[in-house]
Amino acid sequence: MVMLRLTGRAHASGPAWPLADDVWRVSLAEDGGSEPGSAGEGSAKHLARLVPPGRPAPPGYGLYLTTEARTGPLAELRTAARVKAGTPGPTLAIGPELAHLSAGDIIHVSTDARRVTVLWKNSARHNALLLTEQCDNYCLMCSQPPKERDDSWLFDRARKVISLLPEGARSLSLTGGEPTLNAEALIGLLEHCKHVAPELSIHLLSNGRRFADQSFARRYAAVGLADIMVGIPVYAPELGLHDFIVQAAGAFEETIHGVLNLASLGQAVEIRIVVQRHTVPALAGLATFIARNLPFVAQVALMGLEMTGLARPNSALVWADPADYQRELAEAVGILVTAGIPARIYNHQLCVLDQRLWPYAVRSISDWKNDYLDICRSCSVRDACGGVFTTSGMRLSQHLHPLP
Amino acid sequence: MTSVIKLERSATTLPPHAWQLLPMRFHRLDANSVVLTNLVGEHVFVTPDELVSVADGTCADQELLARLRAAHVVQVPGETLPTELLAMKLRTRLRRLPDSTGLHLFVVTLRCEHTCRYCQVSRQSAAKSEFDMTEETAGRALQLAFRSPSPYLKIEFQGGEPLLNFPLVRWITTEAKRMNAGHGKDLAFVIATNLALLDDEILEFCAEQGIHISTSLDGPQDLHNGNRRRPGQDSWRQAVAGIRRVQQRLGPDRVSALMTTTEASLDRAAEIIGAYADLGLQAVFLRPISPYGFAIRDRGGANYDVERWLAFYAAGLDQIVELNRQGIPMVEIYASIIAKKMLTNADPGYVDLTSPSGIGIGALVYNYDGDIYASDEGRMLAEMGDHTFRLGNVHDSSYADVMLSDSLLDPLTESIALSAPMCTTCAFEPYCGADPVFHHATMGDFTGHKALSAFCRRNTGVFTLLLRKMRDDAYFRDLMWLWTR
Repeated sequence: MVMLRLTGRAHASGPAWPLADDVWRVSLAEDGGSEPGSAGEGSAKHLARLVPPGRPAPPGYGLYLTTEARTGPLAELRTAARVKAGTPGPTLAIGPELAHLSAGDIIHVSTDARRVTVLWKNSARHNALLLTEQCDNYCLMCSQPPKERDDSWLFDRARKVISLLPEGARSLSLTGGEPTLNAEALIGLLEHCKHVAPELSIHLLSNGRRFADQSFARRYAAVGLADIMVGIPVYAPELGLHDFIVQAAGAFEETIHGVLNLASLGQAVEIRIVVQRHTVPALAGLATFIARNLPFVAQVALMGLEMTGLARPNSALVWADPADYQRELAEAVGILVTAGIPARIYNHQLCVLDQRLWPYAVRSISDWKNDYLDICRSCSVRDACGGVFTTSGMRLSQHLHPLP
Repeated sequence: MTSVIKLERSATTLPPHAWQLLPMRFHRLDANSVVLTNLVGEHVFVTPDELVSVADGTCADQELLARLRAAHVVQVPGETLPTELLAMKLRTRLRRLPDSTGLHLFVVTLRCEHTCRYCQVSRQSAAKSEFDMTEETAGRALQLAFRSPSPYLKIEFQGGEPLLNFPLVRWITTEAKRMNAGHGKDLAFVIATNLALLDDEILEFCAEQGIHISTSLDGPQDLHNGNRRRPGQDSWRQAVAGIRRVQQRLGPDRVSALMTTTEASLDRAAEIIGAYADLGLQAVFLRPISPYGFAIRDRGGANYDVERWLAFYAAGLDQIVELNRQGIPMVEIYASIIAKKMLTNADPGYVDLTSPSGIGIGALVYNYDGDIYASDEGRMLAEMGDHTFRLGNVHDSSYADVMLSDSLLDPLTESIALSAPMCTTCAFEPYCGADPVFHHATMGDFTGHKALSAFCRRNTGVFTLLLRKMRDDAYFRDLMWLWTR
C-alpha cells in the first residue's frame, strides 16, 4: 500500500482570485452526477474540475485543478500553471504528492492558495473530520494534543464538507479535540447531517463528559440521526486511575454518567480503551466493570498506542509493548465476548497479537497513517494486517516479525 | 523529552478513612482468604487482615482500594455514581419480577409404568384413567396460564408419565398455539418423559411443533435401573435408545437429561458424567435428592448428609472441568445458574434458587384434577396430605384468586432472603434463593432456621466451592464466564 499524502503545495493562476470558497469537491468529466448545473449546494460553484494534462477544460466550474505527472520544484508548478492559463476560470496547479486526487474527493484550499488539504478521500474506508482541537481532558497518550485557540472555523469547514459529500458516501468520523465543547456548533452540524446526508453512518469521538448534562444528551438524541454512534474512552473501572490517565479530576463520573444518559436515550455507545502502561493491569477489571455496569454498549474497542502527540513526551509513562500484554488483552476480550459484548482490537500488528485474538482484530489504521516495515515484505498475513502507524516513528513493538 | 503531567497520580490516591463502606457482606473461604460481596453479588477476594483494614478505615493499599471502588464496595463521600450503578444493577436483577409466571406445568396424568424408588408422586397403575387430566381441565388451566403478563410461556408436560396421555399433550399444544395467536407470546413446550413409550408418531409431532424433550438419566446402567424400576428392568436401555432417537430426529439440542442423586450415586460422579458424555449430552445437572414424596417417606436412598453430597458435587465438577479441558464441552447446570448470579446482573429465575421465591410467580402447577399448586414440590407435599401450597382449582378459582391468595403471598413474603434472619447478613444472599416449600416441609415454617437448614448448608457449600475455584483457577473462571451465556 502506498501511503497517501493529505496535504500538498499548490500554485494559483487564472482570473477571479481570491476564490469564492475554500472547500471544493473534485470533479472529472466521467463524474456525470456532479456536472455543473446539478442542484443543491454541490452545484458548479463548489466543483473543482480536474483537468488532466493535455485535456480541454470545459467552462462552468468554480475552480480548475491541473496536474503534471512529473515531479519537480515549485518553479515547475508555476510553469504548469502558466501553461494552463487558458482555463476558463481560477486555476490551481497541484503538486505530484496530490496526484491521487480523484472524483468525489473534497479539498480545502488555503487563503493564500498555496496549500491544498484533502478532507474527504472518496476511495478511503475511513474519513474523519476534525471539529476542534480544544479538549477538557489532557490524556497522557493523546495523539492530538489540545490547543486552546478559537478554532470554530473547523465546524464551518466540516459543514461545507458534509454539504459536498458525493452520493454514496457511507461513513464519516467526527473527531477532535472534544467536539461537544461547542454544543451549539455540534448540534447544528448533526442537524445539518440529518438534512443533507440522512443515510450517512456517523461515528462521533467524544470523551462523553458533556453528555452527563441531561439536557445536552436529550438535544443530541433529539437530532434523530438514524445511524450514529459515540465512541467514548473509559480507561479504568474506577475514578482514581481514569482521572489520572485523562489528567482531569472528576472526568470519570461525568463520562460514565454521560454513557448512562446516552443509553437511557437509546443512543449507541462504543467504549474505547487505549491499551497503555497504566491500563494493562486494569484491563480485566475494566472488562468486568463494563460487562457488569455498561452491558448495553454496542461494542468495546481496544486500541493500540499511536506514539505521537503527548504520547511522545510521556513515552516512559505510557508505552507498553503489545508483546508484553497479550495475556491481559486476551483475558479482557474473553470477559467481554462471553458477556455478549462485541470486542474489537484496533492498531495491533498480527505478529504481536495472540493468535486467539485474531478474529477480533480490525484492520483499522487510517489509510494515510498506515505503513509496513521492510521486515513485513515476506509476511504471509500482511494483507490482513493493519500495519503500523507512520506517525509512531520508531516507537514500535520490539517483537514485530514476518509470519511464515 | 520530559513528560507532560497536569494531575499527579498521587492526587487520586485515597488516604486512610477517606472512604465509606457501601452495603457489604463477607464470608471466610479459607484460613487466609475472605470473599467480600456487594449488594448485587460482585465479589472481591481479600485476606482477613485486609478485611479488617477496610472495615476499620485504616487501609492504605491503593490497589485494593481501587478494586473495591470498581466493585462498588467502597465509595468516597460525595460520589454519586457507585450508588446509582448499584441501583441500576439491582433493578436489572429484579426486572423479571413484573413479568410474573413464565413456567406452567401440566400434570397430564399421574399414571406411570415406572416405579422409581425416589418418585415424588403417587404411583398409579397404568390403566386407571381417573388419574388423567381432561380436555376441559386443561382448557381452563390454559386460560389461567395466558393471564400471566409474561412475554414468555413455557408449558411443561409432567406426570406420571405424560406420554401415557399423549392425546392430551397433543390437544394442549395445538390449543395453546391457537390461543397464542391473539397474545403473541414467546411459546415453548417441554415434555418431561422417561422415553420408554416414545414412538414415531410422538417424535413426528415433537418435530412439527418444536417440542423439547427432558428425560431422566441417573448415570450408568446398574445405577439407573436400581433407582428407576420398571417391569423388565430395562429403564436405562429405553432411556438411552430414546435419547439417541430424539437426537437424530429432532437434533442434539432438543433433548436434555436430568439425574436424581441417591446414596448409591455418591461415589460414582465420574461414571455418571461419563454416561452423559457417551451420549453426546453437553449438560448435566448434579442435583441433590429432594425431601418430598416417596423420597422422604421411604428414606430409600435419601438418608445421606449434605457433606457427602457436597463431596459428590465437587468430584463431579472436577470431572466436568477435566472433560472441558480435553475439548469435550460439558456444562454443570447448577454451577451455570450460579455463574449468572455471580458474574452478571441477570437472575435466571431458577425456581429453587431465586429470591423472592419462584413459587407461583415463577412457576404454576396444574394437577391432573385441576388443583393448582405453587410448585411441583408443593404438589408432592399434597400427595403426602399437606395441602399448604394448593392455591385453588382451575374450575372455581380466578387468576386473581390464585395469584393473590394468602397461600401464595404468605410463603413468598415470609421467605425473602434479603429480610430473612441470617440471610440478610450472608455474603451469598445475592447468589442464593428463598425456598419456603423446603423449609416448610423440613422445619414447619416458610422462613426456616438457617443454622439448621440443609438448604443453607448445601448452597453455602456450593458457593464456597465455586468461589474458591474461581479464585485459584483461571481456567475455571473462564469456564464460569462461558457458562453465563
